[in-house]
Amino acid sequence: MRELGRIFSRRRLVFGLALILLLNGLLFIREQRKNGYGLALELPSGGGFVSFDGSFTVDTKTVDPQAAYRRYAEWLARAKEMPLADAAAMLTDEKTALTAKITGDTDTEDDDLDYVAVNNLLAQTDYLTGYGGWLENIRKNRDNLLTFSIFNDPASFSGRNIIKTADEFEKLRGVELTLGTDGAVDSFMSFRLTDYLLVLALLLIGLSFLEERKAGLWSVVHAAPRGRLRLAACRTVILLGASVAGVALLYGTDLVLGFSIYGGAEDLGRAVQSVETLGRLPMLTTVGGFLGRFLLLRVAAAFLVGLLLWLMLTAVNNVKYTVIVAAGVLAVEYSLYTFLPVQSAFNIFKYFNLFTYISLSDLYTNYLNIDIFSFPLGIRSISQLALVPLCMLLTAVCVTVHCQKKPAAGRDLLGRVAYGINSVTDRFLRRLHLFGMELHKTLWIQKGVVIAALLVYTALGLSYTTPIRITSMAEQTAREYTALLAGPITQETFDRMDTEQILLDNDRDAYGDAKKAFADGLIEYPELDVYARKADTAQYKSEGLSMVRARCEELRDRGEREGFTPWLMDETPFESVYGEKAEYNQRQAALTAVLALTLLLAGSMTYDRQSGMTYLLKSTARGRGALVIRKLLLAAAMTALVWAVVYGMEVYTFLTKFTVTAWSAPAKNLSMLSEFPLNCSVAAVLALLYAFRWLMLFCGAVVVLFISSRVKRMEAAYIAGSAVMLIPSVLYAYMGLEIFRPLAVILPMESMPLLLSGNGALTYVTIAAMALLAAAAASIACISVQAKTSN
Amino acid sequence: MKLELLNLTKRYGNFTALDHVNITFTEGIYGILGANGAGKSTMMNLLTDNISRTEGKILFDGTDILKLGKDFRRVLGYMPQQQGYYEHMTAQTFLYYLADLKAIPKREARAEIEKLLEITNLSDVRHKKLGGFSGGMKQRVLLAQALLGDPKVVILDEPTAGLDPKERIRIRNFIAELSRERIILLATHIVSDIESVSDQVLMMKRGRVVGLDRPDRLIERVAQEVRESVVPGHFSLEDVYLYFLGE
Repeated sequence: MRELGRIFSRRRLVFGLALILLLNGLLFIREQRKNGYGLALELPSGGGFVSFDGSFTVDTKTVDPQAAYRRYAEWLARAKEMPLADAAAMLTDEKTALTAKITGDTDTEDDDLDYVAVNNLLAQTDYLTGYGGWLENIRKNRDNLLTFSIFNDPASFSGRNIIKTADEFEKLRGVELTLGTDGAVDSFMSFRLTDYLLVLALLLIGLSFLEERKAGLWSVVHAAPRGRLRLAACRTVILLGASVAGVALLYGTDLVLGFSIYGGAEDLGRAVQSVETLGRLPMLTTVGGFLGRFLLLRVAAAFLVGLLLWLMLTAVNNVKYTVIVAAGVLAVEYSLYTFLPVQSAFNIFKYFNLFTYISLSDLYTNYLNIDIFSFPLGIRSISQLALVPLCMLLTAVCVTVHCQKKPAAGRDLLGRVAYGINSVTDRFLRRLHLFGMELHKTLWIQKGVVIAALLVYTALGLSYTTPIRITSMAEQTAREYTALLAGPITQETFDRMDTEQILLDNDRDAYGDAKKAFADGLIEYPELDVYARKADTAQYKSEGLSMVRARCEELRDRGEREGFTPWLMDETPFESVYGEKAEYNQRQAALTAVLALTLLLAGSMTYDRQSGMTYLLKSTARGRGALVIRKLLLAAAMTALVWAVVYGMEVYTFLTKFTVTAWSAPAKNLSMLSEFPLNCSVAAVLALLYAFRWLMLFCGAVVVLFISSRVKRMEAAYIAGSAVMLIPSVLYAYMGLEIFRPLAVILPMESMPLLLSGNGALTYVTIAAMALLAAAAASIACISVQAKTSN
Repeated sequence: MKLELLNLTKRYGNFTALDHVNITFTEGIYGILGANGAGKSTMMNLLTDNISRTEGKILFDGTDILKLGKDFRRVLGYMPQQQGYYEHMTAQTFLYYLADLKAIPKREARAEIEKLLEITNLSDVRHKKLGGFSGGMKQRVLLAQALLGDPKVVILDEPTAGLDPKERIRIRNFIAELSRERIILLATHIVSDIESVSDQVLMMKRGRVVGLDRPDRLIERVAQEVRESVVPGHFSLEDVYLYFLGE
């Protein structure tokens, strides 16, 4: 009990475990939303919906996922009351009727929701009605395949595998599948993050077993009468308890959230194969029975993984190297699990792998036999059967290692390797000056390089363009004409439009003549139809051309009035990347940048304090002013790094996806910049925008430095930095809490309202930017005064 | 070279940590003795401008050290009582980092660091991270950094704390061998360290200086005052310590 108390009295551990639990729940909910609640949300194309993404492409219309799921649940309740075949027939009829409405553009929002519900339900009933046939096919395949010479050797792996597969599924013949809510089970089986969060929680528990080593108490504990076998037994029990609690809390959360989002707790009595995800499981049980069994196996697998982690962490004497060793083993195991081909002769390493026990659901959603001396063995059976013996074996090994491992070990091989590596890095480090050393402290010692790598990974996953929906053919044509006529607006532009207009008028006139000719019997209907189509096209092209003409006239007049060269340009790229529709993307980018910057710099000055170096640093010639300047330069460098990664990706996307030729065009020609206060080119505006963003990020970085200088512990510095820089922004931008708007630093950082005219936010963002500048200036002043004066 | 403390006072609220101290330090080694809370570390922190003074002045060659600022810190070598170090840095990198902070040119720093690593017996572990050092090894690294840049004023707060006797004597001898053309202030609880190396001993009690003289003279003075109660010829600095600082 004392050991348990010791472990859970560590606030950092409790905080970490609570964070894992919270993250699991939040990300589970987010994942369901992101996946559209497991529904296919696309509607059949009704025409007219096109979006811009470098070229004009057809965009599929979708519906609101939450509303669609509610509707799905209503239809499901109706279908459950009917026999399966009747439900399938009813749904097929409904789908046909709804498809006709949608493609004929006579659909309402209700029809769209009904379509999605019916379509998804139909896919579900198709699976259920077809399951018997699928089982029959397996049996037929056995008979057919065994007639081929390459498979018909009953002593070969292929032959045995065919027979074994058919035999295993044979017992499912006659199983009655029923319609029900699958969402909770589907999401439970597919949400992989929980698997990895459980490993992380077990790793934290395992690391807590090393506390006595870190505190230099290992030899004391090892010399104590209860410090060996009894302590090892205690820790084994704690690990088992942690596995039970971890599975109950993490997977329990997934199940409870799943049932509360999707419903379906009353459908647990169905045959497990009724859920399509589990259709390949040759086991006669109910959904509820399967879940109970799965959770029990999950506990055993978690215990096994926990024991393995404990073994890896304790096998090496030096605490510093244990994590490296554990990370190395996990990396090798993961590589084998992920990259080793199924057909490989060494596929035993792929399946008899630590990650098989981590991603346990794979064993139940796939059916696979592997070749062991020409005998097909089900990977699920092997893994399940091996669980208990492996747990017992590893328990014995862990206890033995704990008891036998001597605190004062002789040769420290890893220590020698580290010393050799350090001697090489020291040669490089001794050449660094103060700024280089500050950079080294931030990127290497405080693990900033990991943050930078994660930033690059996140930035690569961000979306920088938003499809701009075009609602009519006339609008699409207007954009095409704009691209065609792009350039300075001169008399020639108008002349070209006049010429084009004449051609379009000719097409319409030709249709008038053709109608007369058709009435006179001079031409047949197909010929008239060709004229009619041409006239129809000419009609919307003419409307598009009128829109372009109006835009040209407006720009010409405004240019004369405000003194800039009128220029017709395609605005879609700008709207897609910088426009109002792109606000969500811009916010994501700003939030990513702020988060990365906070994590990179929050520990910068705190690290000196936590290391007890403040007095020593301040007693040196350059430990005050010069050091502060280097810290500010460091903030500038980190800002540049974050800025280059996040906004570099944005610029790269803009330049590669779109061909913008009008860089020198006056910016006021763009609708979104019509009220821009400066008369400068498009290129200059973008340069200003990115320079402004760098400045705002730098101001944020300085504020983080200031927070860092006031906090004594690293953890507190990260928490305080995040609290000031991130939480108000998240609460305002993602939760819609208006009260946090004045504190949301991402608003001046995303800088969009500075570009967008007439949305009323310009003044606000200017004030926010000024406030951030003032906060940064005050921070610099405080840091300087604090460094230069005595305590 | 002169370091003068004029009427130096430090108060924390109602508590007076240093009470109107007046001392003039010239070249030589000064041993500072005092019980916990006597004001030794406060004086050291005032000398390094790590805490602000309540009253008084500290003059280095006639100019206030606050006015001298960086120029004073350029001639200062300081080893604080609390072990402060970057545990993820190796001993060598730590010394190069401190050399840079002390504005020592790279070439000079290299030669000095080699010499100091040798003196402090750390050459063989120079590439080991400080987090893996024993208390004594960390103490030696901190002493090495204090001596970087050939400082004219060396302030050592408990430099031999945590060292084994052999190491302590080695470091003590090294301090004794340091050029006498500098002011060395050595605060410690270990009376024998002071007795063997100090030119002068400063006794502090409750923020005040209660004695400042050569060790032999202090012993003689105390011997005369307590002759009746102690066997003649058996006086040591420890007796002086007890005489001045004992309750």
